[in-house]
Amino acid sequence: MTATAAPLPALAPPRRATALARRLAWLAVIWGLPGLFILVPLLTFLVYGFWRVEGAEIVADFTLANYVNFLSNETYPRVFLRTLGLALQVMAINVVLGYATAYFLAQIRGRTRYLLVLALIVPLLMSYIIKVYAMRGLLGANGLLNQALMFVGVLDRPSNLFLFNLTAVLITLTVVLLPFVVLPVFIALERIPRSYVDASADLGATPWRTFRHVVLPLSLPGTVVGAMFCFVLAVGDFLAPQLVGGTRGFTYGRVVFSQFGMAFNWPFGAALSVILLAVAMTVIGVAGRLGNPRWMRR
Amino acid sequence: MAHAAGGRLEIRGIGKTYGGARVLDAIDLTVENGEFLTILGPSGSGKTTLLRLIGGFTDASEGRILFDGIDMTPVPIYRRPFNTVFQDYALFPHMTVGQNIGYGLTVRGEKKATIGEAVAEALSVVALDDYAGRYPAQLSGGQQQRVALARALICRPKLILLDEPLAALDAELRRQMQKFLKSIQRQVRVTFLFVTHDQHEAITMSDRICVINDGRVEQVGTPEEIYYRPRTGFVATFFGENNLLPGRLTDGAGPWTVDTAFGPVACADRRLAELAPNAAVTIAVRPEALRVAAINGAPHDDAPGDTRLEAEARSVDFVGPVSQITAVCPAAPDRPLLVKTASRAGGTAVRPGDRLTLVWAAADCAAMAGVAADPPAAGP
Repeated sequence: MTATAAPLPALAPPRRATALARRLAWLAVIWGLPGLFILVPLLTFLVYGFWRVEGAEIVADFTLANYVNFLSNETYPRVFLRTLGLALQVMAINVVLGYATAYFLAQIRGRTRYLLVLALIVPLLMSYIIKVYAMRGLLGANGLLNQALMFVGVLDRPSNLFLFNLTAVLITLTVVLLPFVVLPVFIALERIPRSYVDASADLGATPWRTFRHVVLPLSLPGTVVGAMFCFVLAVGDFLAPQLVGGTRGFTYGRVVFSQFGMAFNWPFGAALSVILLAVAMTVIGVAGRLGNPRWMRR
Repeated sequence: MAHAAGGRLEIRGIGKTYGGARVLDAIDLTVENGEFLTILGPSGSGKTTLLRLIGGFTDASEGRILFDGIDMTPVPIYRRPFNTVFQDYALFPHMTVGQNIGYGLTVRGEKKATIGEAVAEALSVVALDDYAGRYPAQLSGGQQQRVALARALICRPKLILLDEPLAALDAELRRQMQKFLKSIQRQVRVTFLFVTHDQHEAITMSDRICVINDGRVEQVGTPEEIYYRPRTGFVATFFGENNLLPGRLTDGAGPWTVDTAFGPVACADRRLAELAPNAAVTIAVRPEALRVAAINGAPHDDAPGDTRLEAEARSVDFVGPVSQITAVCPAAPDRPLLVKTASRAGGTAVRPGDRLTLVWAAADCAAMAGVAADPPAAGP
């Protein structure tokens, strides 16, 4: 017995070492890939933002000029604030529309409910450009919106109010981003057991009070997540404004885009991106707080 | 906690059909003020549906529910003076224990101070004084159960509906909670309508039991009546084991004799007076009422008895406090009789193969009109 057992302690340390090496390898993969593909590009932007451009050359010496330029300029902060306002509007409209849609979906029983949810997911799988182009068709002078309004008698002739301005961007982003609110809210609502609603009514709450005290608070985390998706995606978008915004629908995303294109000022573009990133991160942070209230943490 | 007087519930001809399936059929039941009444039935019998109809969570297909004489059928859930303790407790996870308990008063717009006092009182009733600030997820199953009860009590309902509230608890905790529920019910003097599929729970807690099966009321009575005077074969076998002896009534005047395959059986059940001579009758005798008077001709248990049977012991099983003997009577070999005797150290004197003389008293026989169905193959 002792003779056969003796070699074991000698073998143990190398085995433990392999286990450790394997763990480290896994950690390297888990942290390394996102680090390489997400963190490094972001850091590159951060660094670029402190460089400057001279003619067609990017000069790598430290300067705060890009940030000073942003703040001292008259246009950029205005476009920035306007874009924030736009994203907030898109978010507010979509929270109301998306919550109502999700609530309606959650009330439906049986197979119809999931068919409708599927119909909502399909657009998410489609190309973003195609969706924006489709919206351009709907909003144009001969588009569905104008046709419908004329048919009903609200308009006498096609209006140009719905295309190539900020309203067009607002409508397009609202429509395109709606599923991002509906889905998390729907999941949150679907998770509320029927017995909570029964218990609330049983304790004397009218349907409205049950909604306000039980259903709404329990679906709030999902709603916050949906609102966050909507805001972050809207505030940085440049494709929709580019395609339906025209000259009047100028947004921050387009400013950033132009710095990397026509203007060829990568360091300034990078600095503008960092500002946008800071806003997005702040919103995500706040949403993370609101979306995970104390009662959800065990 | 003082509760307003009143609390008599009358269920009249309630029926419920779900997509063509008859779930409840012509249910009549009266629950008296302050009573602890248990609706007992196997799963799928319709007992939870009945409770949900009374609570107002589902509408009845027909019939009326009267409470203190007032028709409750058109009254929405949130206006019915009942409160429910749910099987899964249904505590709101985003509210603290205190907020959960106070909910019924909060939605009625009571003053904060009033709610605070009532919550503190309710917490002390269920012995959870220091738990007001906790969230439901931080409580054990038994504690959540007590919070659910306190939440139902705070609205001072005249009737509390309990839907298998102890089903999720382990055996020991369930026994404690049974005692606890019973003591609370005595203390607050409120009518309890309790749903369970557990016969033991029903017997130990209830003033009266309503046994339902296949959407129909089988019998309503005190635990003793249900146990010793079952009205149907289902009731006779749903509560523990029973020996069923089908036969015919021989003479119309008491003490009665019923002719069975086992021979003539004496029965003192007064319900036989209502039956005509030669009517089909099934006798039910509890296994513990059967005594072994003699083993292989030698006297054993000196018990008096009105009915005497010769049988052969087939098996003897020790099951703790009692030993179960299965004995077969030559006259009715397809209907083995079950005998339960108190266990003694050293085992019982009966061995498989022994010739036994079984006796029992006429008073221990329950008579059911008609030919009762055979006991179900497997109990619930």
